Amino acid sequence: MARIQLQNVKKAFGKVQALDGISLDVKDKEFFVLFGPAGAGKTTILNCIAGIAMPDEGVVKFDNDVMNLIDPAHRNVAMVFENYALYPQMSVYDNMASALRSKLYKTDEAEIKERIMWAAKTMKMENLLERLPSQLSNGQKQRVAMGRALVRTPNVFLMDEPLAHLDAKLRNAMRTELKEMQANLGSTCIYVTHDFMEAMALGDRIAIINEGKIVQIGTGDEIYYMPCNEFTAQLMGDPQINIVKAEISGTDKEYSITIKVNGEDVVMALPSDSGVYSKFSEINPDVVDLGIRPQNVKYSFEPKDGYFKATVYSYESIGNKSVIVAECGDYQLRMIAPNGLNVAIDSEVYIRFELDHAIFFDAEEKTYIVRYDEASFIALAAAKEEE
Amino acid sequence: MAGLTLNHLYKRYDNSGKKKKIKNDFAVKDLNLVCEQGEFVALLGPSGCGKTTTLRMIAGLEEITDGEIYIGERLVNNLHPKDRNIGLAFEDYAMYPPLNVYGNVAFNLRAKGVDKEEIDRKVREIAPLMQIDDLLEKMPVKLSGGQKQRVNIARAIIREPELLLMDEPLSHLDGKARQAMRTEIKRLINKIKCTTVYVTHDQLEAMSLADKIAIINFGVLQQFGTPAEVYDDPANEFVASFIGEPPMNILETTIINKEGTFYFTFADSNLQIEVPKRYYEVVSDGFKCKMGVRPMDVLIGGPDSTGTSEQIATFENLGDERRIGIRVGDVLMMLITEDEKRYKRGDVIKLEVRGEKTHLFDIETGERIREKN
Amino acid sequence: MKTGKQKVLDVLKNILLIIYAVFALFPLIWMILISFKSDTEVFTTTFVFNPTLANYQEVLLRSDYGRYILDSVIVSGGAVLVSIIVGVPAAYALARYNFPRKEDLAFQILSYKFAPEILVVLPLFMIYQKIGLYDSYVGLIWVYQLISLPLLIWVVRGYFEDISVEIEYAAQVDGYSWYQIFFKMLVPLIKPGLVSSALLAFIFAWNSFTFPLILSSNKVYPVTVAIMKYLGTDSAHYGQLAVASTVSALPAVIFALCIQKHLVRGLSFGAVKG
Repeated sequence: MARIQLQNVKKAFGKVQALDGISLDVKDKEFFVLFGPAGAGKTTILNCIAGIAMPDEGVVKFDNDVMNLIDPAHRNVAMVFENYALYPQMSVYDNMASALRSKLYKTDEAEIKERIMWAAKTMKMENLLERLPSQLSNGQKQRVAMGRALVRTPNVFLMDEPLAHLDAKLRNAMRTELKEMQANLGSTCIYVTHDFMEAMALGDRIAIINEGKIVQIGTGDEIYYMPCNEFTAQLMGDPQINIVKAEISGTDKEYSITIKVNGEDVVMALPSDSGVYSKFSEINPDVVDLGIRPQNVKYSFEPKDGYFKATVYSYESIGNKSVIVAECGDYQLRMIAPNGLNVAIDSEVYIRFELDHAIFFDAEEKTYIVRYDEASFIALAAAKEEE
Repeated sequence: MAGLTLNHLYKRYDNSGKKKKIKNDFAVKDLNLVCEQGEFVALLGPSGCGKTTTLRMIAGLEEITDGEIYIGERLVNNLHPKDRNIGLAFEDYAMYPPLNVYGNVAFNLRAKGVDKEEIDRKVREIAPLMQIDDLLEKMPVKLSGGQKQRVNIARAIIREPELLLMDEPLSHLDGKARQAMRTEIKRLINKIKCTTVYVTHDQLEAMSLADKIAIINFGVLQQFGTPAEVYDDPANEFVASFIGEPPMNILETTIINKEGTFYFTFADSNLQIEVPKRYYEVVSDGFKCKMGVRPMDVLIGGPDSTGTSEQIATFENLGDERRIGIRVGDVLMMLITEDEKRYKRGDVIKLEVRGEKTHLFDIETGERIREKN
Repeated sequence: MKTGKQKVLDVLKNILLIIYAVFALFPLIWMILISFKSDTEVFTTTFVFNPTLANYQEVLLRSDYGRYILDSVIVSGGAVLVSIIVGVPAAYALARYNFPRKEDLAFQILSYKFAPEILVVLPLFMIYQKIGLYDSYVGLIWVYQLISLPLLIWVVRGYFEDISVEIEYAAQVDGYSWYQIFFKMLVPLIKPGLVSSALLAFIFAWNSFTFPLILSSNKVYPVTVAIMKYLGTDSAHYGQLAVASTVSALPAVIFALCIQKHLVRGLSFGAVKG
């Protein structure tokens, strides 16, 4: 196991700058998640660590040893490829054994067998060992690809979307298993995903990647509760956070915000919070972007005090709960509701924000300003850090 | 009026040419389904369950082994697909690459020989509805996945079909786009009020889009009902575990009688859950069955809770919610909480189960065991 | 359930196929028939005649026919061998690496097959005379590359392109060196394409006529050219000619039958990729 460091790594493919100065410090035995939209450069980072891609600039270090000029075979990394990259001519068993049969990582056959059996059992694929990759479903291939990595004892596990092609049920089960497994193996793991639930559930720390740059690094709680900008806030959470332009008025005794709903002004008093109030009196903004998560938006189908009116755009289930989307003119608001309500499209809905969960962003720069209860979340993040 | 009626529909594939005889060679078995006019029905099931075969039979692309298909009041068993008055939007975007979007949308009408002005009127009418008005001059290769899908649906509905058939139209899209498109489809179908049959393997899609869901497994209809019905009142274990994410916890249980109160007990676990009173007439001491409860309906008890103390096996912080896994025998029982507390593996919590939300299933057949009314 | 109309269609289709099969196979059958006829019966009989093995004795036992066959095997086999040694790495490079004007180069290799042989053979004849390759094994093997190499490169390149590059990465990460990966992972995967294109190249080389006719004379005498011997200036021994042709066609026919399954796949592969 090893500590993995990237220092100002740059990589271009033709005119496309895939990585633009990536610096990471992954601690030994850490589960580190690279999270971001498709094409952000996550896979390229893994390739640079594995040695498959050569950085144009910058340094890749394993435990303080510079690895830039070491070929992939000698880096002792285990990698799970997104498209599985199974050897088509070999059985599942031979696929999993391949690294342990190579000259570099030679292991005796009895040991190989033991490890494969263990991996097969954990990945629930004991019955697949004799098959050829062409006889497997995508989900099964993915498990084999995982198993092929798990039988090794590498410096680092590199996993590229290893659960992406599994169905929802298996994905959840595997995610839970994977975290337990990594804790037991005590291995460093760098994990690429575009699924925020995986990122949150698995990562000791998460790096948000976009357009070849690191946007934010932090624990799940840090990133979820104190996203450094609107981009990160929107990535974390499903359905995604509502962001509404809001005018700020008032003094440092009492602030209120005004938002536009279908052309009409709706004024809401901001609950008192020392962090928010002192920040606002310090920078005195006229306009901010108000971020509020769907679970903090409350609805009613009857007019109610403190609720403003909008129309239902859609109502759909997202599993164990549902989302009501309300049309508010230039933008839409998402809010969480239970399954099985009888909600007619285009009917009226009344909405209230639980403003004491709000996050404020700069309206121009789209960067984080302040949130409610900031101090307690900083404490929460610090507690996690200590663990 | 019924929009679509399937009457004892069978599909058997001829396996005579194959070396291996497949045991259950019915792809679809005795399928009965009535979709009301204007209803949005989802055919839902795991891959290979016969849902696509059913759709293809309705479309006329696949021969029917036995049974009857009515579109409206017409028996269509022996009609050619083009005479069935249906619109198709299939999984692979089968667009004609040399034609632009306008040409693709208009293609069907042109083939029918509808006159030019009429076609133009219809295309212009449907384009804003599908939000493709600014794409009409583009070529298919230039379109994104979501745009292609919209064009595809526009093409299907421009002929004003009696029945719209869709086969996994969203499977090519990634998360965010898929969610957005789902909303769009729902609103659109709501507007045009066309009877729609929609094939998907994604229970979320079915739950969020459909008026009614037909859940199919191994070619056999498991349950046909509204999303709320299949979620809250599943007909059997298969439906219960297929609908909902994360899936329902289903555990084998032995019911014991302790001084007149029945409890669910579990092998290799000290977990005990009180059996709701409504089941008292159907259970007995030593009764074996499966108990199902959704993760939302398992709760963490307060300090004075009477629930059983259990150790946390897995804890996942997902931001919006937190998921906790408890080992009950060799099954991981999941519960979901929005409580902000951060637990660790090994922490002990009191477990409570909402008795009124539990379901019982036969241990052999998986059929639902219902309380007596 | 098939309707009456479909049945009639099926029968019609089969009749058409049979007609085509007869048309395609007839020359072969005719040649075999002639090979069993005596010179006198060649012109006087069609299907009813007294079969004789005299032609076979004459060609196989009393002439140098064995040597001609051997020459053909050497030059065709040699050509294919060289093509494999040169072509497989070339195909790999074309499939995997990006370099300037890659597609132009690939097309140029393919274009060797476009030029009519007769066009290039005359200058080649002059050059061969000058540098001493005329009428030598090396000379013929070399010129046969024009036939076998493009075919092999294009088919095998398609196979390489079909192997995802991640498989190579995975093997690297698994601790294998490039050569180990090439021989252990890649070669087994391209084998069907390699075998079918090699055999096809062999058949094409074997059947080649223009090159050996002009570029060789006494020392090297491939069978296609040797057949001409039986067409003398004064007399034509059609029976013997038929025997020589039949025997020389045998390897091609046998190979074609063996590899037809791979052949269709291997070549359509290249076609799609190209």
